[in-house]
Amino acid sequence: MNIEVRGLTKTYGTVTAVSDLSFDVPPGAVTAFLGPNGAGKTTTMRMMLGLVTPTAGTALFGGRRYADLPAPSATVGAALDGAGFHPAHTARDHLRVYARMGRYGTARADRVAELTGVSAFAGRLTRALSTGMRQRLNLATALLGDPRVLLLDEPGNGLDPEGTAWLRRFLRELAAEGRTVLVSSHVLGEVEHLADHAVVIRQGRLVSTGPIGELYGPATVLVRSPEAERLARGLARDGVLVEPGPPGALRVHGLDAAEVAAAATALGVALHEITSERPTLEQAFLHLTGGSR
Amino acid sequence: MTALLSAEWTRLAATRLWLWGLLAALASGGLVGLLALVGPENFNPPMPGLDTEQGTRVLLGLLGFTVFAPALLGTVAVAAEHRHRTITTSTLFAPRRWTWLAAKLAVYTGAGLVYGVAASAVAGGALFGAAALKGVTLGLPVSTVLALLGRIALTMAVYTLLGVAVGALLRNQVAALAVVGAYFYMIETTLMLIPGVKLIYPWLPGGATSALTGFTYLADAVADQTGGSATALLSAPAGAAVLVGYALVAIAIAVAAPLRRDVA
Repeated sequence: MNIEVRGLTKTYGTVTAVSDLSFDVPPGAVTAFLGPNGAGKTTTMRMMLGLVTPTAGTALFGGRRYADLPAPSATVGAALDGAGFHPAHTARDHLRVYARMGRYGTARADRVAELTGVSAFAGRLTRALSTGMRQRLNLATALLGDPRVLLLDEPGNGLDPEGTAWLRRFLRELAAEGRTVLVSSHVLGEVEHLADHAVVIRQGRLVSTGPIGELYGPATVLVRSPEAERLARGLARDGVLVEPGPPGALRVHGLDAAEVAAAATALGVALHEITSERPTLEQAFLHLTGGSR
Repeated sequence: MTALLSAEWTRLAATRLWLWGLLAALASGGLVGLLALVGPENFNPPMPGLDTEQGTRVLLGLLGFTVFAPALLGTVAVAAEHRHRTITTSTLFAPRRWTWLAAKLAVYTGAGLVYGVAASAVAGGALFGAAALKGVTLGLPVSTVLALLGRIALTMAVYTLLGVAVGALLRNQVAALAVVGAYFYMIETTLMLIPGVKLIYPWLPGGATSALTGFTYLADAVADQTGGSATALLSAPAGAAVLVGYALVAIAIAVAAPLRRDVA
């Protein structure tokens, strides 16, 4: 089941939170929904689910709006950032309430608790759960209806490294089963090894959509050398874009580390450090919006 | 709908709210029992004893004054969805939002009836027990006492419904509690001081409640102080109908309003 978002717009008074946003999310893959904090990711997801009424536009799951789906929570599972738990409920109580609401049965509540690792703290009151545990409980709730589509808002927030690795494996498995998985994040590093596609927004507008590898643009190499200036002149002569880095260092564009090392050797310049730099999401944005250096 | 009802029941049963509700019901019933044991004739100032009609009515009337308690519990229960932000997940599982609100209203009205029956049963038991201990007969026929207790229990159920509707409408738990509490303690009494309001009193929640429970102290007291004659209350069924009408209006607004609201 694919997701089609067409022209989604939300204005609050004179503030435009999301502006004419259109993208597709294909099944059988993980799609990252990227943007800095405040870009409109949560508002977009809430509009897709009918929690927030769009000023304009639609979001369709297999051709239908969320509220018009015959079995909404069994078709689309959502774990949203603002969702909470009754503090006097245990994690198990929480799952059972919603298992009943969706007619999924107590056995299914226990099953999703196992799948997500919630079983380990199922008897604990939700007020005593850590952020990572709350993330897992939210994910378990989203999975109750065994949905074909998953919308997860910043599911990696608060997870420890082990939890992050687990989440990555888990979501990849869900996508491999043919499900449609949309994961929002403001940290590129969190989703770069997880997602196949990316939808990037900034200030409520679409910046880019496509394979995640194309987000980065050319890599840069940081070189530290006692003869940085001579190296810079030599590289510039060959038409390589070089900019000053931290003191005593250069940032080289358009070459990989091996090519920079070879050029330095040819020039007879000693190198104290040579590091391939992964662009940050902010640099990727700069690249995508044509503001690259 | 049965799924939503069972979910709401699970939600209520999993918290301690039902326990506090039961304790409150038993306590309000027990308070009437305690007062019956002390005896209205020993009150300060003294009042007619248990063996008079007025004495029995005073004690049952005191139980009638505790109807706001289940209303507050209903308000707390619904406003909690907003306070703890479970409203997001609930709305996702039931996108047609009126359905789960209707389920909540049904479950809590049932709970309110249980509350009322528990409070009335304890109060009734204590009343008859105290009379037996003192070796007197209650000043009202047994059937009349039972009928009044039944009407109080019913009023409590209707008030719970009102409380749930207010909680659904106002969303902010503290604001909802303040509105419900202030209305019963202050606003209606204050309104009665305005000339002319007395005429519509039978149709206000307090007047309708008096008609339903059969206790008219407030109306009588105001009549005394303003020197006018006591306002004629509606009949008991009409009073019940007016209260249910208020509840239905509150529900209609509570159901209609969230449909247009964003869940943030």
